[in-house]
Amino acid sequence: MFYVGLVIVWQLVSSSHFLSEQVIPSPFEVGKALIMGVKDGSLVYGIATSMWRLIVGLAIAIAGGTVLGIFIARYETVNQTIGSLLLGLQSIPSVAWVPLAFLWFGKTDGGVIFVTSIGALFAVAITTHSGIKSVPLEFIAAGKNMGASGLQLITSVILPASFPHLISGFKQGWSYAWRGVISAEVIFSVLGLGSLLNLGTKENNISQVIAILIVIMFIGILVDAFVFKRLERSIMSKWGPR
Amino acid sequence: MTKLQAKNIVKHFDHNGTSVLALDGINLDVQEGDFVCIVGPSGCGKSTFLNILAGLEKPDDGEILLNGKPISMPGPDRTMVFQEGALFPWLNVIDNVEFGLKIAGIPKDERRQISQRYLDMMQLTKFADSYIYQLSTGMKQRVAIARAIALDPEILLMDEPFAALDSQTRDLLLVELQLIWERTKKTILFVTHNIAESVVLGNRVEIFKHRPSKIKKEIIIDYRRPRLAEDENLRKYQHEIIQELKSEIIEQKKAGD
Ligand SMILES: Nc1ncnc2c1ncn2[C@@H]1O[C@H](COP(=O)(O)OP(=O)(O)OP(=O)(O)O)[C@@H](O)[C@H]1O
Ligand SMILES: [Mg+2]
Repeated sequence: MFYVGLVIVWQLVSSSHFLSEQVIPSPFEVGKALIMGVKDGSLVYGIATSMWRLIVGLAIAIAGGTVLGIFIARYETVNQTIGSLLLGLQSIPSVAWVPLAFLWFGKTDGGVIFVTSIGALFAVAITTHSGIKSVPLEFIAAGKNMGASGLQLITSVILPASFPHLISGFKQGWSYAWRGVISAEVIFSVLGLGSLLNLGTKENNISQVIAILIVIMFIGILVDAFVFKRLERSIMSKWGPR
Repeated sequence: MTKLQAKNIVKHFDHNGTSVLALDGINLDVQEGDFVCIVGPSGCGKSTFLNILAGLEKPDDGEILLNGKPISMPGPDRTMVFQEGALFPWLNVIDNVEFGLKIAGIPKDERRQISQRYLDMMQLTKFADSYIYQLSTGMKQRVAIARAIALDPEILLMDEPFAALDSQTRDLLLVELQLIWERTKKTILFVTHNIAESVVLGNRVEIFKHRPSKIKKEIIIDYRRPRLAEDENLRKYQHEIIQELKSEIIEQKKAGD
């Protein structure tokens, strides 16, 4: 409903001719650009490639970040050496990794995936660390008491006990990763939503640029609704409202 | 047969640079099938002693023997019922009860059989699929007991498991625990600071001194079961324990904690 209202306001603004079509195209023009994109397949293909890179990059970031976070949490020396470095690394915006990705991987999928995962990895590692640190000691004592130790203690007690915390790290990681994918694609101009944005700029096609921005935003909304809201709901149903 | 032996257990804690002697040579033998209660003033080291038996903390001196063999690591042969239950909120009731069985690698069918049996014993069958937050405090303690017994431990360690319960629920569980003990023939070591509770449950009540803690006295309670909390005949035992503890509580006041 809110979005319908937004489109109506938009239509009113653009039809008032207060701003020219070159600044704010009408929803109609943007819709046309979207349909064009679907028809010639470029949009569908762009979404598919970007999503594919996102998923691979995010999977690497979550796996790597979780393992890294566990190490920092379990070994105080690792924390003291790598901990502060990690905070520094996390403060680097994804875009800043693009030049390095270019030098290491060139304008390839590998380069985009590198940018995607590296931006998210440190955020995931940091929240995993703090999540593990916040696990009540009684859970760990209970786990050991019932025979769990080593890796089993981590997978069957420590990780599930910190899962509500981990989710917020994954969520942050996903948003960094999504930014990373688009940034790298814009700069590298390799096929994907980012390069479609680029193409729109080159062709001076503002409708296409705005259409792609809307697609990027909607993917964000959908991922939040279908992945994270669901995970959060499933946690609530087990841990109870908190 | 001696199930568990604590030999001269000593434990210090560091309190902001000063060393506090919590346990000053605890000696205790627990016979197979015995029900031993430990009472003592708050902070005397009861939980510490239990944690050492469970292998969750290391003594500075002394050793623990289980069936004559020294132990040092935590293990499912000495399961603990924690004061707050320490149940896992990410697992439902039945999976909580099966946790240790799963760790031990017992196949699913067998696990279900065992957990069903103990859920049944604890009258929790209807709540098998509930999550922990959906349970009352009394139900949570039942789950915690089921989870600990399901592993068929050599000795069951219980650290004030009923402290957070209202008196009705507690009286009910006091009877249930005696019945379970008679049925399973488990060896139980039960920490409490509720004296009435200790005389209802224990064959023996060990009275801990104020820090640095030793066992001050042992009281044998040879009386029929199941015992009820309101039984007049248990009064004299209670009175005896209170007399012993009184001087300890005065000591504790003097020490300023
Ligand atoms: N991890 C710890 N670090 C420092 N001191 C500790 C630690 N654990 C226990 N202590 C100290 O050891 C003493 C015994 O504590 P413990 O918890 O065993 O007492 P308790 O008899 O179980 O008391 P309560 O009846 O209140 O539960 C206390 O003085 C406490 O301050
Ligand atoms: Mg205690």
